[in-house]
Amino acid sequence: MKEKIPETIIEIRDLKNKLGDQWVHSGINLDIHRKEIIAVVGGSGSGKTTLLRNILALLKPTEGSIKIFGIDLLKANTRELASIRNRWGVLFQKSALFSSMTVLDNVLFPLREFTRLPEKFLQEIGLLKIGLVGLPLSSSYKYPSELSGGMQKRAAAARAIALDPELLFLDEPTSGLDPASARELDRLILDLRNSLGLTVILITHDPESLFGITDKVAFLGEGKLLAFSPIKELVKNPHPQIQKYFEGRI
Amino acid sequence: MTDLSANIEINTDKDLVILKGSWDLHGISTLAAKYLNISWPTHRTLTLDGTQITKMDSAGAWLLHQCKNILTQHENTIKTYDFRDVHKEMIALVEQEAASHPPEKPPAQPAFDPLYQLGKGTVKRIKEGYNFLSLTGELTLYILKAFKQLRLFQFPNTCNAIYHCGYRALPILALLSFLIGVVLAYQMGLQLETYGANIFIVYLSGMAVLREFGPLLTAIIVAGRTSSSFTAEIGTMKVNEEIDALLTMGISPTQRLVLPKTVGLIIVFPLLIFWADAFGLFGSMVMSKWMLGINYPDFFARMKSDVGVSHYYIGLSKAPFFAAIIALVGCYQGFTVSLSADSVGFQTTKSVVQAIFLIIIADAIFSVLFSWAGL
Repeated sequence: MKEKIPETIIEIRDLKNKLGDQWVHSGINLDIHRKEIIAVVGGSGSGKTTLLRNILALLKPTEGSIKIFGIDLLKANTRELASIRNRWGVLFQKSALFSSMTVLDNVLFPLREFTRLPEKFLQEIGLLKIGLVGLPLSSSYKYPSELSGGMQKRAAAARAIALDPELLFLDEPTSGLDPASARELDRLILDLRNSLGLTVILITHDPESLFGITDKVAFLGEGKLLAFSPIKELVKNPHPQIQKYFEGRI
Repeated sequence: MTDLSANIEINTDKDLVILKGSWDLHGISTLAAKYLNISWPTHRTLTLDGTQITKMDSAGAWLLHQCKNILTQHENTIKTYDFRDVHKEMIALVEQEAASHPPEKPPAQPAFDPLYQLGKGTVKRIKEGYNFLSLTGELTLYILKAFKQLRLFQFPNTCNAIYHCGYRALPILALLSFLIGVVLAYQMGLQLETYGANIFIVYLSGMAVLREFGPLLTAIIVAGRTSSSFTAEIGTMKVNEEIDALLTMGISPTQRLVLPKTVGLIIVFPLLIFWADAFGLFGSMVMSKWMLGINYPDFFARMKSDVGVSHYYIGLSKAPFFAAIIALVGCYQGFTVSLSADSVGFQTTKSVVQAIFLIIIADAIFSVLFSWAGL
């Protein structure tokens, strides 16, 4: 018996957000399909993070609907929400590793919570994930504060993919990384998409990531989705905000 | 419905190993627990058939990799594999990863050696004492400097400390002092009543409250409220690298953070003691009237003639020391926070315990000193 997964993984309709007395979003529609790598871009304060927090069910939108795996987030009960949360992984901008645990324990944390595998096997899986993101295995037993910023990011990525999620959210994955590591991380995202069949949503300002790995780019501005197209078309979009954003980068 | 969990069927007649079920995190839990104990074939040329696998994730691929290792260890040759294309990619990814890293052993924990632990603990405490002393010294220098340049007292921050550590503590301090006064008068009253020495309750409770209970109770409450908040505040700043930011701007955290807190607390502490004294005495006064029938005017008259003002001054003289202990311990523990969330909690606990410990030690020292001085 195979679970049927709808092709549209995320469906956002007429999403509106009011933070304080300011409308951050005034009607966003967005469909994200399976195995796509989507980047969300936009200037500062265009509501990228707010949108991400909406999708992650951390912040309730003022109006509109968000469906993930065909389940409406705003109407979902606790069980449905929990099942969705098991199927996605999130890499936060500031890594958000648990500072009181070693890297390996961080990666094993969701595995220990949600699976019933023998400890030895779990450790092997944990080390596998740590190796997959390109961390030296010797850092597995270190604490996050003993790692450099880039290594913390990788450790956080290892934790995000611990449960083999179907959907991966990455908030500025390459910021703070050296160019070589950033490209390695890009390659990792591509690899994961190809081999694990992941759908990836990333917030990024890194032009190389945008041009290198994304299938489509969603451009937020003026509280709306100004454009949603492959990057090559997006840079030709005449909208002044988009032109300003890419100024000097093409 | 077929069985969803991962399974291995070994057909020794046909040299066939058939893999079935869903090889994902949830499906492999039984197999992962027992795969080492399966009776694996030896010395054969095998065909691995994975076409009946319904689902595979990286954990499943890793299990498969481990099974293959065991097969090879049993000196089998694996002739052919049969897997679906989607699963092949996953297996390739995992095997490539497994090949590029040799297995890593966790670092060995040093064996427990009591002598080593004793030495380590001693050195750690000596260092702590040294650092605490350095902080005290540095603060003293900054306070002396601030007398020359009054701006360095940072009046807004000092007032803030006075407001939060002093003013906001008034209600709780009043209530607890009152209750202590009541309890004290009640317990002593029981004894005095049997001797008919009711009136001595004024001297006893007056002296106890003014000399010991007022200052000590104030110190303990302020230590619980304020020392913990100083530690948490400075500790969180340290985790956020705000302390480093101050240092790089050439601003001393001691001067910027510790000085106003300490000075504010030293200013407000005698006032808090006065407040606690007043409510403590009020409590014993109420209890004396209710239990022993001593009227309020008599109580006041006796206070004046028997207790006098000297006990009040003795109690008050401890104030700056207690205040400095609380502020310094709180700030010092804040600076020792390391970059993790549980360290903030740990140091906060430590700061309250240490502050109260030091206060009681200091109080004992004061008692000895005052008795030498004949006060």
